[in-house]
Amino acid sequence: MQNSTDAGDTTGAMLLVSMIRATAKAIEVNRDTINALNVFPVPDGDTGTNMMLTLRSVVDDIGDDASGTIGEVAKRMARAALLGARGNSGLILAQFFKGLSESLGTTDGEPLLRGTSFAKSLRIAATNSYKAVPNPVEGTMLTVYRECADVAEASAAKNGSFENVLSAVAASSLETVRRTPQLLPVLAEAEVVDSGGFGFAVMLDGALRALNGEEPAARVVEVPMPGGTKFSGSVKADFIDASEEIDWGYCTVFAIQAEDLDLDKIRAHMDQLGRSPIVDGTDGIAKVHVHMEDPGLALSAGIEYGQISNIEIANMDEQTAGWASARRGDATSPPVATLAAPDIAVVAVAAGDGLTDLIISTGLGATSVVEGGDTMNPSVAELLAAVNAAPSKKVILLPNNKNVVAAAQQVPDLTGKDVRVVPTRSVQTGVAALLAFNMGLSLDQNEKAMNEVAGEVGEGRVCQASRDVTIYGHEIKAGMTFATFDDDIVTVGRDPLHVLIKLIEERSDGAEIVTVYIGETVTPEQAETTKKTLEDKFSDFDIEVVHGGQPHYDYLIAVE
Amino acid sequence: MSIAVVTDSTSDLPADLAEKHGISVIPLNVHIEDETFLDGVTISADEMYERLPNSKVIPTTSAPSVGSYVELYEELAKTHDEIISIHLSSKLSLTYNSAVNAVAEMGESSTRISVVDTQQASMALGWIAVRAAEAISDGASLDEATALAKNLSERAVFIGMVDTLTYLVRGGRIGKAQGFVGSLLRVRPILTLRDGEAHPVERARNRKKGIGRLKALVAEYAPLEKLAVLYTTDKADAGEIANDVAEFAPDGFATVVQLGPVVGNYLGPGTLGLGLIKAESG
Repeated sequence: MQNSTDAGDTTGAMLLVSMIRATAKAIEVNRDTINALNVFPVPDGDTGTNMMLTLRSVVDDIGDDASGTIGEVAKRMARAALLGARGNSGLILAQFFKGLSESLGTTDGEPLLRGTSFAKSLRIAATNSYKAVPNPVEGTMLTVYRECADVAEASAAKNGSFENVLSAVAASSLETVRRTPQLLPVLAEAEVVDSGGFGFAVMLDGALRALNGEEPAARVVEVPMPGGTKFSGSVKADFIDASEEIDWGYCTVFAIQAEDLDLDKIRAHMDQLGRSPIVDGTDGIAKVHVHMEDPGLALSAGIEYGQISNIEIANMDEQTAGWASARRGDATSPPVATLAAPDIAVVAVAAGDGLTDLIISTGLGATSVVEGGDTMNPSVAELLAAVNAAPSKKVILLPNNKNVVAAAQQVPDLTGKDVRVVPTRSVQTGVAALLAFNMGLSLDQNEKAMNEVAGEVGEGRVCQASRDVTIYGHEIKAGMTFATFDDDIVTVGRDPLHVLIKLIEERSDGAEIVTVYIGETVTPEQAETTKKTLEDKFSDFDIEVVHGGQPHYDYLIAVE
Repeated sequence: MSIAVVTDSTSDLPADLAEKHGISVIPLNVHIEDETFLDGVTISADEMYERLPNSKVIPTTSAPSVGSYVELYEELAKTHDEIISIHLSSKLSLTYNSAVNAVAEMGESSTRISVVDTQQASMALGWIAVRAAEAISDGASLDEATALAKNLSERAVFIGMVDTLTYLVRGGRIGKAQGFVGSLLRVRPILTLRDGEAHPVERARNRKKGIGRLKALVAEYAPLEKLAVLYTTDKADAGEIANDVAEFAPDGFATVVQLGPVVGNYLGPGTLGLGLIKAESG
């Protein structure tokens, strides 16, 4: 004992204050690391800041005034900690001070700081903390408190002095922190240890060094990672990068049932279609797990081998998008949730990368796309396969082309599923209808709402005649560009952009929004020009220009 | 017997309404970089929305501390026999939990305190506090007021149309509206609170159509006991909606209310919404 024998410090109050100052300083020094470890319960990267602000309110409240007995000082600290507690970690930290206030200096003539009273304070902190949070979870600060209390009691029972008990607890706390990923899986996934627990270990380190008179008391503490590895300084790169991979797609899991399943063949097939396939099975059942951009493709492939069942599809883009954007902005992200199989699925026909992405992104994680359009109408069999592969027994089918409507209308009679065809005559109308799709509504209500929207959309197209043609009674020379709207020809000209502008001018009476889909024939530079020109030109309604990537048509438009 | 009514700053209750009904509003905290502000007290909504799009470090929020509840309750106990403390959904914040812990912290005391988790936010919560205060001034007991607040929680509706889901996502409050995230089209998501967390209602193709939907929703929820039209930055739009739906409002007048810094931090500039209480059916 060095500092504690200071002449004026008759009760140990000054020693306590100097140790608590050291804990605050220690948190400040390690704050960024503690923030970086924070993934649970909400990965908002503020545990270190919250602990620092909570400790600062204790230190500020005490100021230079360590007068009174150790018990009195501890009580003032406990009140200041409670008043200043920030966040979950601050609230739990306040319990530590409450423990100190209920165990220090409670007996008259007690020596300065004793191992037994410190052990008692940790036990009180642990017991209270489990009550203080709504859902106590192991692998957090709670576990660290509890195991510290265990170690402190054992050490104190062997007549451990305060120094011995604090020293034992400081060492063991790091080992408890090292084990937190075993107790809380989300920590293991992110390759971190618990942030608040580590923060507490950092505090103990600072307090011990202050007690031993080491300078500086606050130092950088190495994060105790499992297996003695080093903490990279941020959440596992894969954990973040995952979301930045555009094609991260859907984690697709299902079972295939059939006699004589060739697992190797299925595995090779899935490997071709998607990433990280795991295929395993016995006795006529194969379980497939694969990451797919389009889960429908994996399911369609599965049907080739037998009956499929037990479908689970999780949209990993959505799970990780918030996380990654948050990491980029150093902010909060939503807790990762697995989307259950949807109650209602949508199958939509579309051609073009942009339109396919757009439909999937707008389809609430329940929508798959069958490739097709004007020059490549999908067959009834292709539509049927997609409907059968859709991850629900209730399916809405959007043919998205007037030449596909009839084929689509065959599907309901050919499957055991409840299929509703919303007869969308163009893909731009299909997208508008898809925006009315709502998981909160029944199949009947969705069918009705989507039909209503489809009936209100005006659909237009701009395309170049590849040869002399007659359209709606108009002769158009090869090389000319023409625009149609619903079943009318609107205008003919040489420049696609001028034709597009004319089309919009003539058919936007009373419009609230016009959506323009740019086709694959339009160069990116031209697309930029088109976007800018339209946005400058039209101000009576909103205009949204997006990449459709559709073949054949330079532009498709929807007027709503 | 006098009963004090407490709510928190996420009720977005305008100062004049709080004062008129004698409601104490405990502020949450807003943390911007290393600075801490008291919601609506040391930072105004307008200041918040000015800083929000430009802040490099995303502002965070935290519940009132147990200690600040204890202080408020002890102060109110000097002049009141009982307290009803009506709060934000416990699924969104520790605000309710903190109040419960404060009551436990105070231990045996002559003051009875009833803490209510409304599963609501903003004026859906604010109106519950107002209705509880009205009932108490009409002679309701603490138990009656508590039962009323719980009943009103079922009939209160919060609706928000946001410009972007970014603020909800980065604030970790996207809840069941997750499916709305990620559309490559610019749409206006309309959300509600169901079972205390964000829930999708529908998507409007653009702002104008969304405003039309908000008006239509008022008509669908009518008859109403209370109605407020909410905004973060666009007071004129909120005023227009309030005018157009006035016929559905009790007394023919819809209150226009600005969302405070904490609620606004999760919804963002450009948000419009509704906070209402449906009339009891039958």
